Amino acid sequence: MVTTPQPALVLGIDTGGTYTDGVLLDYYSRRVLAFHKSLTTKRDLSIGIEKVIEGIQIGDPSAIRMVSISTTLATNAIVEGKGKRVALLLIGYDPELISSFKMEGRFATPHFHYFEGGHDLYGRQQAALDLPGILATVNELRDTVDAIAVSSYFSPLNPEHENRVRQAISSITDLPVVLGHQLSTRLGSVERATTAALNASLLTVLQDFIIAVRRAMERRQIDAPLMVVRGDGTLMSDEFAARIPVETIHSGPAASAIGGHFLSGLDDMLVVDVGGTTTDIALIQDGQVTISDKGASVGDYQTAVGAANLLSIALGGDSHITLNPEKQIAVGPERVTPLARLAWEFPMVGQQLQALRQRQWAQATPDWLEYWFLLREPPGDGIIQAPHARELIDHLQDGPRPLPDILKHLKLLHVGQLGARELFRQEILGRSGLTPTDLMHVEGRYNQWDSKASEAALEILAHYQFREPDDLRQQVWDLINEMIVHAILTFLSEKDLDLSTGRRAAGAKQQTEQRISPKDRDLGRWFFYNSIYRSHPLLETQIRLDLPMIGIGAPARIMLSRAAESLNTGLVLPEHHQVANAVGAIAGSVMATKELLVYPMLDGTRVDVMGYYCQAGDERHEFEDLREALGFAHALGRERALGAAIRSGAANPQVVVEQLDDGLDTFRIRAKAMGNPRLAR
Amino acid sequence: MELNRVDTQRAYELIREKIITLELAPGAPINDQQLGEELEMGVVPVREALKLLAHDDLVVIPPRHGLYVAPVNVPDLEQISEMRLALESLAARLAARRATPDDLTVLETLCQELATVTDGDTRRLFDLDHKFHQAIARAARNRYLAATLERYFGLSQRLWYLILPHLGFLPTAVQQHLDLIDALRAGDADVAEKIMREHVQMFYDQVKIILIEKNTDSTPEAG
Repeated sequence: MVTTPQPALVLGIDTGGTYTDGVLLDYYSRRVLAFHKSLTTKRDLSIGIEKVIEGIQIGDPSAIRMVSISTTLATNAIVEGKGKRVALLLIGYDPELISSFKMEGRFATPHFHYFEGGHDLYGRQQAALDLPGILATVNELRDTVDAIAVSSYFSPLNPEHENRVRQAISSITDLPVVLGHQLSTRLGSVERATTAALNASLLTVLQDFIIAVRRAMERRQIDAPLMVVRGDGTLMSDEFAARIPVETIHSGPAASAIGGHFLSGLDDMLVVDVGGTTTDIALIQDGQVTISDKGASVGDYQTAVGAANLLSIALGGDSHITLNPEKQIAVGPERVTPLARLAWEFPMVGQQLQALRQRQWAQATPDWLEYWFLLREPPGDGIIQAPHARELIDHLQDGPRPLPDILKHLKLLHVGQLGARELFRQEILGRSGLTPTDLMHVEGRYNQWDSKASEAALEILAHYQFREPDDLRQQVWDLINEMIVHAILTFLSEKDLDLSTGRRAAGAKQQTEQRISPKDRDLGRWFFYNSIYRSHPLLETQIRLDLPMIGIGAPARIMLSRAAESLNTGLVLPEHHQVANAVGAIAGSVMATKELLVYPMLDGTRVDVMGYYCQAGDERHEFEDLREALGFAHALGRERALGAAIRSGAANPQVVVEQLDDGLDTFRIRAKAMGNPRLAR
Repeated sequence: MELNRVDTQRAYELIREKIITLELAPGAPINDQQLGEELEMGVVPVREALKLLAHDDLVVIPPRHGLYVAPVNVPDLEQISEMRLALESLAARLAARRATPDDLTVLETLCQELATVTDGDTRRLFDLDHKFHQAIARAARNRYLAATLERYFGLSQRLWYLILPHLGFLPTAVQQHLDLIDALRAGDADVAEKIMREHVQMFYDQVKIILIEKNTDSTPEAG
């Protein structure tokens, strides 16, 4: 073993949907020294994070020189509607235009208000700013919202109205104010408004998180800079992250892509990260994570901030294997605790499953395989308002119960009547069922928990369908493989392929043998299935991925080998691929981007070009000719990006300046400064 | 370290609030350990915050004698009032020359809000009055003046809580504020200065009467 005289210890942490992973790395030798996995605690992510720090058992915490973290917090808060309440002030937007395109739903807050003002596409004021109206509205809303977002028409070209509004609002209230032009220089007005609203709703969410992580670090005597991973895989200091939380959307999947690159040493690859809840796909080309042109999107919202180009599907090692309404096997989208694990923790679950095996067909229905259990006592009385919540919690005091038993006890006919959603969301109740992880236990490929329970559950589900367990198991793997190949195919081709028709056409029993219904006339589906199963006697079709596939995550080996085969490529599983996402959290570069706009200065309402503006954030400079303006913009952009990267914690950042033509004689100067993180001391 | 900065900032705000609202009475001793437990914070950020508060003249740290909340006494009051009278009047004078239409809109909005506050909502009342004075200072376009005023305003806020139970001059204050805005809009520096001076003077006169009535230096049992 090589020991460097002074290893630069860095700690990477990834808080995923199921697990929080931590890894201790020697930064310069790239050696993974220790790692630990702990369950993610969604109600307070810092609990899981502290467990990971504890689990790694760092000898000398003071030797740690950087901590970096990727988090699903922002994404989850948006998807689950847990962000703070935001009032969005839209200045100079046309309400009729917005409503005729039905775009109101895209603003990410129900409290949006229109006001006079804004600028045109040459940065000229299109209407006077209605400041009295805005202030009156803010006063009205003061007690009903937690933050204010402001987006003015064409504010990246001329932020004057947004700045005046911020100044005035901050004089009358202490609510935080977020401005659209500070988050994006893109001209799309709806996306900018959405970005501002989301950023405002995430401000305190991320601030609280960062403070909690810092506290956890302090309790463990770690005194080092804290970095946060952006949605494009680069790093920013915690202070930047607290101000622009919207940039952390997709930071988890981006980190695993970076980790795949770091651990494999390859420059071109498809990174597939199989977690407990989701499978995330990203593409690395020339050593860089490819970036989405459109900006990050999450839930139903399209933002204007950069993010890795990635596809996430609700399929993972802990996906629930169930029967859909057509009685066909389905995997996901829900994530549950594997039965093997539940039975290992509560032996009575294993005994009950064995007993269930002996029952007659009609009494051993698949719903008996779904168990509910108590994760913790509810913290207060607040959420026990659901009609059956108290009864339900009392019923689960002695251990997990199968769903039909719960319904019978509470004298209900249907799960929907229970209204237990909030109890699951708050992690008071957990749910368990058959999962791919159980199948791995049955096959002996995984033996951490109770394989007998998994076997029993698989047999019960198979018998219910009048099939052999091995046959059913095979079908689940086929289905998982199809889902992964389908995801990769649609991700890379950017085309759609609807598989549902084909599947529905085949009966439950023939699902495995006969993917392609003779009645189905769709060539795309035929091509897809024929390439995976080679059903046609004369026509051979193949899909060949001209890149290696890098598998990330604990179940990657088992869940991806067939996909690699179906795509005729190799599967690479680098050492420590199980925690590559945590490695990726520290392996990224620190980046700061500054965008400046150069656009023509027009004479009043006429179209004579009088010169050019260079708009650099809030600053505006005037030039007589375009060349001069562009030259200035390049120089200023370079300087600004450099300064921002250094403030964000980069060591010796390098700057690249590019010039993009936005049309209409408008140019976007993008300066990107990148460097390795500056380690403490 | 940054975390300490965050916690120090929070401790500073919370302790300051306690002092200003008289929850920590003037002249009362401070136990930093106990305060830390109360605020669920380490003793380090609490001590840092207390140092900052000492700098604000809200906490006194005598050598070797522990800590206590700065007392309120008549001589102090007179010195503070001299400063605020001069500086607030200056701010009003400058604002009359420099206020933008946006500044006036802000002041008008604050005044309208002030008129709607019910008597019982003292916290909101203080907040609005504070914001009004800040907005004038902002309109004066002199950040050193604004920063200095902010410091003295902090010292005055505590006095306000002290006299609060004894007074009812709120309606005239609203009228005064409105007159001041009119003067600013007209650009009449003399009138603006005069109104502000009277407004501040009236406040200190009230405080003084009450302090003398209470006839003690520190008034831990005010009200």
